Amino acid sequence: MKDQVNWIGLYTFVSREVGRVFRVWIQTLGAPWSGALLYILVFGHVVGQRIALIKGVPYIDFVLPGLVMMNLMSAAFMHTSFAVYIMKWTRSIEEILIAPFSYLEMIIGFMVSGVIRAVVVGFGVYVMAIFFTAATVAHVWAMIFYVVSISMIFAFAGMLVALWSKNFEQLSLPSIFIITPLTFLGGVFNSIEMMPRGLQWVVRVNPFFYFVDGLRCSMINVCESNAVVGWVVILGLMFGSGWTVWYLFKTGYKMRE
Amino acid sequence: MNALEINHLTKKYDSMVAVDDISLTIEQGDFFGFLGPNGAGKTTTIKCITGIGLFQSGSISVFGIDVVKEYREARKKIGLAPQEFNIDIFAKPRDILYYVGGFYGMPRLERLRRIDEVLERFELTAHASKPFQALSGGLKRRVMLARAMIHDPDLLILDEPTAGVDVELRHDLWRYLQELNAAGKTILFTSHYLEEVEMLCKRIAIIDKGKIAAIGSKSDFTEGGKKLEQTYLDITQKGKTL
Repeated sequence: MKDQVNWIGLYTFVSREVGRVFRVWIQTLGAPWSGALLYILVFGHVVGQRIALIKGVPYIDFVLPGLVMMNLMSAAFMHTSFAVYIMKWTRSIEEILIAPFSYLEMIIGFMVSGVIRAVVVGFGVYVMAIFFTAATVAHVWAMIFYVVSISMIFAFAGMLVALWSKNFEQLSLPSIFIITPLTFLGGVFNSIEMMPRGLQWVVRVNPFFYFVDGLRCSMINVCESNAVVGWVVILGLMFGSGWTVWYLFKTGYKMRE
Repeated sequence: MNALEINHLTKKYDSMVAVDDISLTIEQGDFFGFLGPNGAGKTTTIKCITGIGLFQSGSISVFGIDVVKEYREARKKIGLAPQEFNIDIFAKPRDILYYVGGFYGMPRLERLRRIDEVLERFELTAHASKPFQALSGGLKRRVMLARAMIHDPDLLILDEPTAGVDVELRHDLWRYLQELNAAGKTILFTSHYLEEVEMLCKRIAIIDKGKIAAIGSKSDFTEGGKKLEQTYLDITQKGKTL
């Protein structure tokens, strides 16, 4: 039947992409987990013991949601950016372009696999943290919302960067000069109150602050941002980036000749 | 019914016109040779048919289905073996076929049966678990053909499928294509080896500088005992017509 969802195709597409994640698990899962373990150990446990309570919680508890979020964002972004770019580079993306997928199915295939990788990485960081801290969940549905929606944003962002990039150097530029600075200035390691008063507005216009604070609020019930503003920012970015990727796939931007 | 219908297709790369207002029709069950010098517009036309290329004007339909408006339905009908290896070079042939079959909506059991069939047909069974990049040029070409055939398409588009393959495979491929054609499959075939085009194809078109320079049945091109190659050179080099 016309216009039916290509379920078998979509399932095959996602399982191929997720299969790649587990095939090279040392790189895709082991590396972020070992990095997170070092952060938890050094910043959270060793240094954190000498830092006073922040918002009434130990430093390690405060920093954990930020670490989960940082790894989540990075995993989703890395997954789709590399998958799409490598496929463009080897031209194997043509396998997808000539298959009976709708443009929406194509981007869902990449996005879902990116979200799965992000969730696996984030869950691993959370499990590791259990050995060092309470690692609580205060609002489970809110946590699921933040984890899934922010993974989606970064999966879409990875696709956008991969489509735009002409070489491997360009592929890494947004990560180095946009994502990393915004992550560190988004309150992963510190409360907004620790920033100089004149610079706090910089944090408040940084969308990453709402990502980190939203997850922190859902995990340890320490909330510094306006939740409604956060939801608007997250949903706006999610639908905005998703629509842009769909449009670029539809028009064949840097994929179709 | 026409397997392929191209009407006034124009494709430009910036200001360079690669395909200039071409029209052609291929009937169902035809074995159609699409010839032309390098850069004449053969591959560009194929890319427009399959969706790899965008075009500025004209229309293309496959078995009456518009390749732009109803692109998903149209793509189910087409199997493409392109000139270049557009494939995951780290993947193994069996996995490549498994995933591509899935993309076309083939249920798992049907796909597994078909993979064995296709691997055997192209004598790839012994190489099915080796990475694509470790295969010889001829074996790589076989994988490309197997991938094009996995979903049993009605229209098979083969862009220089015999380039760089050994004599044995070439002969085997010819036999296979003739069997497929006899079974009712429509084949669009490009090649620079004109003797194989002359042997295999029923109808032929020559594209030159983006325009259809000649189109007709094989006998039109070989009239008076001429070789296809001679007619081809007369058309592309001397500007003669059929």
